[in-house]
Amino acid sequence: MFSNHVTSDASAYCHGELSVDDARKFAEHILVCSKCRNEFEQIKFGVLLAAQLPAEKAPDYIWSRLETQLERRQIQDSNQLPRRGTFPSRLQIVAIAATLLIFSVVTSLWYRQSKIGVIKQSFWQVTNLDGVPKIASKGFGNNGRLGVGQWLETDSKSRAQIAVGSIGHVEIDPNTRVRLLETEPTEHRLELAEGKLSARIWAPPRLFFVDTPSAVAADLGCAYSLEVGKDGSSMLRVTSGWVELQLKDRESIVPAGAACETRPGIGPGTPYFEDCSPYFRAQLILIDFGHGLDDRTLALTNILNESRPRDTLTLWHLLSRVDGTDRERVLEKIEGFVPLPPDVTREGILRLDSDMLARWRVALEGSWQGNMAAPKKVAEDWKIGNGVTRRMSNFGSP
Amino acid sequence: MAQLLIDEPVIEACRRGDRDAFHTLFETYKDKVFSIALYSTGGDRAFAEDITQQTFLKLFTAIQQFRGESEFTTWLYRLVVNACMDEQRRRKRLLPMEAITAPVQVADKALQESQFVRNEVADAVRSAIKELKPKFRLPILLKYIEGLSYEEIAEVMGCSKGTVASRLNRGHAKLAKRLAHMSDYAQLTD
Repeated sequence: MFSNHVTSDASAYCHGELSVDDARKFAEHILVCSKCRNEFEQIKFGVLLAAQLPAEKAPDYIWSRLETQLERRQIQDSNQLPRRGTFPSRLQIVAIAATLLIFSVVTSLWYRQSKIGVIKQSFWQVTNLDGVPKIASKGFGNNGRLGVGQWLETDSKSRAQIAVGSIGHVEIDPNTRVRLLETEPTEHRLELAEGKLSARIWAPPRLFFVDTPSAVAADLGCAYSLEVGKDGSSMLRVTSGWVELQLKDRESIVPAGAACETRPGIGPGTPYFEDCSPYFRAQLILIDFGHGLDDRTLALTNILNESRPRDTLTLWHLLSRVDGTDRERVLEKIEGFVPLPPDVTREGILRLDSDMLARWRVALEGSWQGNMAAPKKVAEDWKIGNGVTRRMSNFGSP
Repeated sequence: MAQLLIDEPVIEACRRGDRDAFHTLFETYKDKVFSIALYSTGGDRAFAEDITQQTFLKLFTAIQQFRGESEFTTWLYRLVVNACMDEQRRRKRLLPMEAITAPVQVADKALQESQFVRNEVADAVRSAIKELKPKFRLPILLKYIEGLSYEEIAEVMGCSKGTVASRLNRGHAKLAKRLAHMSDYAQLTD
């Protein structure tokens, strides 16, 4: 081994990687060989330098981002994901952040525009609307760039607008913190930690997402506002199109004119039209987030008594959030407004048959949106996950 | 030899999909993974965060493949090394090193001076590491950040133990040459 010089073993000698016998021979050689000794001293100095290399601390927020991705993957892998308009028989309470998925209503013109607009870039343009908003804790004048991983923050006097490629824009209200998580051709994602944003998006389904502590919003080509409180709960208000909120197997589809609250550990509540009475809304809160069974049953009675024809939005969502005789009562109330379609049975609805729920929902949507019912194609193909390419292809070529 | 920093029951719980166990695993290794990623990407924190996230996501979804303790650390570091190499191929350039950490403030003047020198050395080493070719940089990161043996580094990088020794030798020599002006710092001989 030591027929010639030994410097090739210098690092291994420093690290104790040589056998006892080879280490002894190495040491004996450098005693008598000045060339090897000089090179050994240089490598030993390099070893000492490398030993000064400090480990770096990973940011704490990586875990929350990872959790969100894990949740999304679990939802994709789970067969409990209902087709559009269906819910599992039981909603489970979950204690982690959920993701909201919003599906956009796509026309061929929007599809072409969004394809053009969805170009890969590593940042979003930000315009200062008022005051001194900050990116990565620094003011940016009239225009700035929000890079992946960076926070955009507004104080009580500042506002900003984010351009989401050419597929839409998001206005950031005062006292708000948002972070750009991803900007890829097939996915654009913001995190709203606190405060309020208003989004106007014209894009294919599942192209734009907003993560909050209690749900993820997936865009369906719409306009909406989303506000997150300090406790992680949020309020979604849709002004145009549709928005989907989801947390694991609990989901709510929210049309224009409707709102929906979310709570950490529970996820999205039941959507309701904002022109309902405060009493109706208060009863709904008891059902969604209350604890007492008797309270919930009484609240359901009150809701059924107060329901108008367009409140079938709320009632349809409640079908999967109540059970037993309560579910029968809800079904009968909806039937009083809109009869079951020919291929839908009471038994199927009561057992939460996904296809039948979807078909009844399509029949109900006319009263939810006037002439702007959600496309049937979206209803049939809706599925949570990252299959944006597949879903985009479902809408055909422009 | 890389020390397994978590118990086998934790790994087993992760295999069963236990989220708390995975959080424990994440907290144990996150700084090591992030450090590898940060140095490999030339100090780009955003990319390092993405690589860290990708690594743990892959780990969580594939941990059922583990069959014993000895595989875990090398498999984890192989994930992050592959992710770093993929990122380097994609970017094909080194990014400027950004300021990473701030010096720790200490009250005693002598300690302050000592800490200042250490910070200067650490910053210099970071910059010098950045200048190394990936094939020389990665073995150094795996050795000094992760504490892997030559055999483990060879397994992670998919090369022979002799190749690891040779690349470490070259890496050390380049560091020494680049930072020869720092040979007087007494701290290096502590």
